[in-house]
Amino acid sequence: MRTDPWPTNGILEQAEEIFCAALEIASSQERAAYVESSCGHDAELRAAVEGMLSSQPAVEIFFQQSTPVLLPNISQVVTAACCVPDNAVVSGEDAEFEGEQIGAYKLLQKIGEGGCGVVYMAEQQSPVRRCVALKVIKLGMDTKRVIARFEAERQALALMDHPNIARILDAGATQTGRPYFVMELVLGVRITRYCDEHCLNPCQRLELFIQVCHAIQHAHQKGIIHRDVKPSNILITNHDGVPVTKTIDFGIAKAISGQLLTDKTLFTAYEQFVGTPEYMSPEQAGMSNLDVDTRSDIYSLGVLLYELLTGKTPFDQNELLKSGPDEMRRTLREREPHRPSIKLGGLRLDELTETAFQRSVEPRKLKLLLKGDLDWIVMKALEKDRSLRYQTATGLAMDVQHYLNDEPVIARPPNRFYRFRKLVHRNKALFIMVGAVSLALILGFGTSSWLFVREHEARKEQVLLREEAERAEFNERRLRLEAEAAATFTQAAALINRGKFSEADRLIEEIQAPEIGPSLGAASVFRNLGRWNVAQGRWKQAADRYLKLYSANEIDPSDMTDAATRDLPAITMALIVAGDLSDYRRLMRETAIHFAKTEDPVAAEQILKINTFLLAETNTLVLLLPLERIAENSLVDQQAASRESQCMLAWRAQAVAMFYYRRGNWSSASQWARRGLDYPDNTTNRIAMAHAILAMAEHRLNSADGGADMDAARDIIDTRFPNHTIGAGIPDDTSGFWNDWITALLLYQEAEREVRPQTQCANGSSRRFAPPVVPKAITSSTF
Amino acid sequence: MSETAMLLNPDTANDVAAADQLMTLMYDELRHLAAARMANESSGHTLQPTALVHEVWLRLVAGGIERNWKDRAYFYNAAAEAMRRILIDHARRKSRLKHGGDQQRFNIDNFDLSVAPADERTLLINGALEELERVHPERARVVLLKFFGGMTNKETAETTGISERSVNRHWICARTWLFKRIESHAP
Repeated sequence: MRTDPWPTNGILEQAEEIFCAALEIASSQERAAYVESSCGHDAELRAAVEGMLSSQPAVEIFFQQSTPVLLPNISQVVTAACCVPDNAVVSGEDAEFEGEQIGAYKLLQKIGEGGCGVVYMAEQQSPVRRCVALKVIKLGMDTKRVIARFEAERQALALMDHPNIARILDAGATQTGRPYFVMELVLGVRITRYCDEHCLNPCQRLELFIQVCHAIQHAHQKGIIHRDVKPSNILITNHDGVPVTKTIDFGIAKAISGQLLTDKTLFTAYEQFVGTPEYMSPEQAGMSNLDVDTRSDIYSLGVLLYELLTGKTPFDQNELLKSGPDEMRRTLREREPHRPSIKLGGLRLDELTETAFQRSVEPRKLKLLLKGDLDWIVMKALEKDRSLRYQTATGLAMDVQHYLNDEPVIARPPNRFYRFRKLVHRNKALFIMVGAVSLALILGFGTSSWLFVREHEARKEQVLLREEAERAEFNERRLRLEAEAAATFTQAAALINRGKFSEADRLIEEIQAPEIGPSLGAASVFRNLGRWNVAQGRWKQAADRYLKLYSANEIDPSDMTDAATRDLPAITMALIVAGDLSDYRRLMRETAIHFAKTEDPVAAEQILKINTFLLAETNTLVLLLPLERIAENSLVDQQAASRESQCMLAWRAQAVAMFYYRRGNWSSASQWARRGLDYPDNTTNRIAMAHAILAMAEHRLNSADGGADMDAARDIIDTRFPNHTIGAGIPDDTSGFWNDWITALLLYQEAEREVRPQTQCANGSSRRFAPPVVPKAITSSTF
Repeated sequence: MSETAMLLNPDTANDVAAADQLMTLMYDELRHLAAARMANESSGHTLQPTALVHEVWLRLVAGGIERNWKDRAYFYNAAAEAMRRILIDHARRKSRLKHGGDQQRFNIDNFDLSVAPADERTLLINGALEELERVHPERARVVLLKFFGGMTNKETAETTGISERSVNRHWICARTWLFKRIESHAP
C-alpha cells in the first residue's frame, strides 16, 4: 500500500497556503528562503510543501500536454471514391485499425468508407510531419499491378499542381498486401451538399462549377483523366470564408480499373455495377471501356452540373440499378435524358418547393432560369456521341461563363450546324488542291456527313416540334378549363350575393387549384366560402377553400407590400386548425422567401405573425430576423409611428412580442407585450393575446408570476369560447377576424399549459417540455 | 430553440430531470457544432473545447442580448460537464481501439506518464478527478470548468461564485493533487 500523496488533513491548509504563495516567487533562492522561514521547525510541513513544489515543472508539462482537443472526426469529412464494391475478399481480421503504422504513416482515424476502400486520416512522420488522407483499397486485387499502374502515371500526377486539386502523394502496399494511396487531406463536404445547406443560388453554384472545370482541365493538360467525377469526389472547403472546390482521387480510378479490364466486364461476380452508374459516360458504360478519353470527364461534369441545378441526376440511380445490367447499359448509351427544366416540371410540388428553397429562388423562377441556355449547355455536355460534347473542360467552363455574362452560348444548335458546314467547306478547299479524284471522293464523303448532320438536326427539330405541340395542347386545355372555371366563379359570386353560400360552395367544390390561375373574382369567391365554412365549423373544407384562395391570389413576384399578405393569416390558420401542417410549412417557406427583402413594416408584421402561431424552426426564425428589425424600427421611430393608427401599432407590437417569445427572449417578449397593452386600442382578442404572452414570458422569468395576466386573458376568452375550445365554428358576425380569435385561443391554451400545468394535467413536469403543437382540444372538438 | 431556452433558464429548470435533459441537449449540440466546424477547417486542425463552448453559448442562448450571470453560470456548468463526457468518450474509444481489447482497461503497470498519448492522459485525469470530487467537490468543479470546459479563471470565478484568486489557488492545488494521485497509481 502506498502512502497518500497528499499531506494529512492537519497541515493541509497551511501547506497549501505556503505552496501557493511560494509559487508566485520567481527566484528559486528567494522561494527556498520563504519556505524555510514559513515552515519554521515543522519538518513534516516543510517536506509536504517541498514535495508539492518539486513536482511543479512535471505537473505543468503534464497538464499542458493533456489539454484536451478534438481531432477532426465524423464521417462527413471526406468521402471515399466508390469504385468497386467489396467482393468479400477482406475478412475482419485483415482490416487495419486506428493507430496502426503503414509505411511512413500512422493511421489516426477512419474518416470515410466507400465501396472500394476505407479512408483514414493519417499522420505522415517523415520526411515531413503532416496530416494526410490514406485510402486502402479493399478489393482483393493484384496489388503489384495496381501499384505498377500507379507508378506509370506517377510522373504525370506529380506534375499536377492546382489549387483546386488534392494532390496524390504516394502509393504502396499494406502488410496484408492491399494497395493504398496517400493524398492531400481535404476537410470538406461534397459540393452538392454544401450548395444545398448554404442555399446557394444557381449563379453561385455555376461559379463553383467553373472552378471544378478548371481543375479538370488542368489535369487533362497533364494527360490525366479523372474517370470518376462525381459529387463525393468534389469537396468544398472554406478558405477565409470563401468556398473553394477541391477535386480528390485523381489517378486512383485508372490504377484500379486496369484490373477489371482483364475480364472485360463491368460487373463483379455479384452482378454489381462497378462505379457510380449515374455519373458514368456512355462509352464507359459500354464494352469499349478501353477507349476512354478526356471527354468522358466532360460527360460526368455535365451530370454534376445537372444535379447542381435540379437536385437530380439525369437518370435515377435506383432505377438504373433495378433495371439490370443490360438495360442499364442501354439506358446510358441510348436514352435521351430530360432537359433540366423539364426534369423540374416532373417533380412533386413539395420536392420542387424544397429544391427551389435550397437555391434561394421561387419555384417558377427556377424553371424559367434553366430553360434555354442552361438546358442547352447541360445537354451538350451530356451528348451520347462524345464528338458532339464540349471538347475540353475549359470549353464547358467558358460557355457557363458566357451564360453568366449574358453572352450567347455556343451550345445552341444552329451554331453547331454552322460549324459543321464550315468544316465541310474547309475540307472541300483542301481536296481541290489534292486532285480531282480525291475531290470527288471527299465531296461524296462531305455530303454524306453533311446529310447525316442534317438528319440529326431534323430529328432534333421534330422533337422540338412535338414538344411545342404538346405544350400548345396543354395550354389550350388549361385555357379551356380556366374559361369554364371563370364561368363557374361568376355563377358562384352571384349565389354568394344572394346569400346562398352552400349552393356556391357545392358549385366550386370540384375546381382544382391549377385550374384557377390568378383572378380577383375567384379570390373573392374563395375568401367568402372559406369564411362561410369556418362559420359552419367545417374545417377541412375551409382549409381547402383557403388554400385555393392562396392559388387565386398568386402573388406578383415584385409585390412585397402588405396588400399581398392580407389573406395569409386566415389561410395559414385554417390549415393549422384543419391539421394540414405540411401545407402550412410550405406556405411559410414560400412567403418567407418572397418577402425576405420587403421594407414594408405591415408586410413584415404579417409574415412574423403567421410564422409564430406555432413553435417555429430555428432556421425560419433566423430568416425572419430582418423582418423583425423592420417591424420593431417602425414602432420605435416616433416619426414613422405617428403616421399610423394606434390599432395598427398595437398589432405590430403583438407580432414583435410573439417573435421574441418564440426566440426564447422572455424579457423582450414581456416588454413588447406590455407596450402592446399600453396602446389605446380595445380589440379584445388582441388584448387577450398580449395578456397570454405576458403571462408566459413573466412565468419564464419568474415562475411565481403570470397569474394576473392569465385571469385577464381568461375573462376575454370566456366571452367567446366558454368551454375554451373552438366549438361549433366561428360565426361571421363575431367582432374582429375569426382567425384572430383562434390565435388568441391557441395562445391562451398554450399559456394554460405553461403557466398552470398543475391544474391542467396531472403529470405537469413532463408536459412542460412538450412542444406546443395544435392543441388536442381543437382538433377533437371539430371532427 | 424555445425548449433549449427554457431548459437554460435556472428558474424553470431547477430540478434534476431538467438538469439532466440540459446536459443531454448540450452534449448533442456540442457534438454537432464540433462536426460542423471540423468540416470547414483546413487540414490538421484541432478544436479547442473553449471555442466550442463559447460558440454554443452565443448560438443557443444569448440571441443578441446579454443574459445575467446566473443563466450563464448554469449554462457553463452543464456545458463543461457535457464537454467532459464528449472528450472522455472520444478518448476511451481511441484508446480501446489501440489496445485491442473491448472492455479491458489499459494496463497501467507498464505505462510512462511522460510519453502517454493525450487521450490516455485525459482518461487518467478524469479518473483522478472522480476521486477529487469525493474529497473536495468545490475544487473538482474548478478543474471541470477549466480543464474540460476550457474556461478562463474569470469565467470560472463567475460561474462558481468564488473569487478569481481562489479559483487560481484551487486550480494550482488541484492539478498538483491530481498529478500526484495519478503518479502514485503508476509504478
